[in-house]
Amino acid sequence: MKKIVAIIVAAVAIGVFILLGGAFYVVNVDQQAVITYLGKPVKNVTEPGLNVKIPFLQKASFFSKKILDYDADQRIVITEDKKNLVVDNYCKWRIVEPLKFFQSVRTQNGAIARLDDIIYSEIRVELGNHTLTEVIADNRAEIMENVTKASREKAKEYGIEVVDIRIKRADLPPENEKAVFSRMVSERERIANRYRSEGREEAQKIRSKADKEKRVIIAKAYREVQSIKGGADAETIKIYADAYSADEEFYRFTKTLDVYDSLGENNKYFLTTNSEVLQMLEKGIK
Amino acid sequence: MSEKKDPWGMDRYNFKMPNFNFKKSLILPVLLIIIVLWALTGIYIVDANQQAVVKRFGKISKVVGPGPHYHFPYPVETVNKADVTDVHRLEIGYRTYANGETKLVENEAQMLTGDENIVNLDVIVQYRIGDIVKYMYNIDNVLSTIKQVSESSMREIVGKRKIDYILTVGKSEIQIKALEMIQNILNDYESGIQIVAVQLQDVNPPDEVVSAFRDVASAREDKSRLINEAQSYVNKVIPQARGEAAAMILNAEAYKEEKVQRAKGDAEKFTVTLKSYKQSPKLTRERLYLEKMQTVISKGDFHIFDSQISNINTFIGLENLKRSVK
Repeated sequence: MKKIVAIIVAAVAIGVFILLGGAFYVVNVDQQAVITYLGKPVKNVTEPGLNVKIPFLQKASFFSKKILDYDADQRIVITEDKKNLVVDNYCKWRIVEPLKFFQSVRTQNGAIARLDDIIYSEIRVELGNHTLTEVIADNRAEIMENVTKASREKAKEYGIEVVDIRIKRADLPPENEKAVFSRMVSERERIANRYRSEGREEAQKIRSKADKEKRVIIAKAYREVQSIKGGADAETIKIYADAYSADEEFYRFTKTLDVYDSLGENNKYFLTTNSEVLQMLEKGIK
Repeated sequence: MSEKKDPWGMDRYNFKMPNFNFKKSLILPVLLIIIVLWALTGIYIVDANQQAVVKRFGKISKVVGPGPHYHFPYPVETVNKADVTDVHRLEIGYRTYANGETKLVENEAQMLTGDENIVNLDVIVQYRIGDIVKYMYNIDNVLSTIKQVSESSMREIVGKRKIDYILTVGKSEIQIKALEMIQNILNDYESGIQIVAVQLQDVNPPDEVVSAFRDVASAREDKSRLINEAQSYVNKVIPQARGEAAAMILNAEAYKEEKVQRAKGDAEKFTVTLKSYKQSPKLTRERLYLEKMQTVISKGDFHIFDSQISNINTFIGLENLKRSVK
């Protein structure tokens, strides 16, 4: 019994010693490690799993294998056409060579400080070569690509791979916004005026077309009226002619008598006894 | 040891130190219990909406679905769980508060358009975890990454389009493009995130210019109102003209009918008269003449002179004189 107890106690003691001294270390799936021997790097561990090292003398430093985030503060950059842009970018990066990383920048915060310098200067250079419209509209993807490439090159020496840099926001500073707003307002006014005068134009056209059509309709009707009336007159002339030609002399006689009906009342007539009706007044019956 | 005065006054509990001289046979059961308890810590439950990744010494050994499971206790195996079926939502340009109110976040919402105008866009990005392993171990700060990628993509898309398009018909096309772009970038990062939907909530011009935009809308309405008014004028005038034309033509037709009928009447009268006239022309002639003279003379103011009087001027007006003298 005493023996067993002694063995267990010894085992626990050794276990505690080993654990405290760090003979084992676990590298997680999203981690990598650098092993230093008395401060001097001896190896990189990139595969996850359980590993052994010399307790106390060797030390493991862990680094993330994940894609890391660096979200820069927004800052003002001047474009080629001398316009100010408030640029807010982010950068995705990861540690690819932990040893270099460890030796040069040591921590993620150290890395971010370097990255900030690199990216800011690259963005300034790149945006300085493009106009505002190019930055906003036309070449945004290309600009981000260029900044990413250049920064990637420069970040290599720190054991960092720049995965992607993107402009999150590129906006005008407040004082320029005012100018944009007033331009937008005047542009809208122009459009509104155009709509209204287009409306008037269109309405005028429609009305005038209607007026024209009205006059044409009336004129066509007039033409038809005239032709109907003409036809009527022609027909009547023929009817009269057909009838009266039977005895023109008689027609003239009766028509003349009819004309006398049209003589108004109270006309003054001065007749002599020579006239046919009155001759009997003077001459009596012959 | 128990005789010593405790500065905290704990001695009144008459605290006895455990007896380290316990029986050696107890050590094994105690150790056993400790081992069993340790082993029990390996039981875990994965909820219905979750998956879990089991790592053995940091290395991924398996991914399990919902239900009760067992893993070797720490430090051999560890488990990370995540909600994989839930759809999460991310708001850009505004925030919804617990009481349902929303508030604009101007510097997120405001975007420059391709024609250098400014619009405010409120966007919802819906996403879920598509691949739990990638989601957990590939990228740091996933949530803020989705947000960064979404903002960057939205601005890139809006920056390529004109304001009128964005404000009117462009909404669904922008949504589709944004979803595609955000998903592509997140795939490049191997984030394990699946974008479910990108929705443009509100698309508005900024407050500073909104009244000018409203005026454009009312101008557009004015335009169609003016056109409608003109159209109704047309609808009034043309039928009126057609009615007038029809009336003119009917009048003319009436005129024709009337005139022809009258002519026929006159002609028939003439024909009939002529027929009876021909039976005794001379007498009829005289009779017609004299009858006419009779009616004429009875109506007029007749002055009869002898045929021998050569100049009648001297007599004209004398009858008036005679009347006034009386």
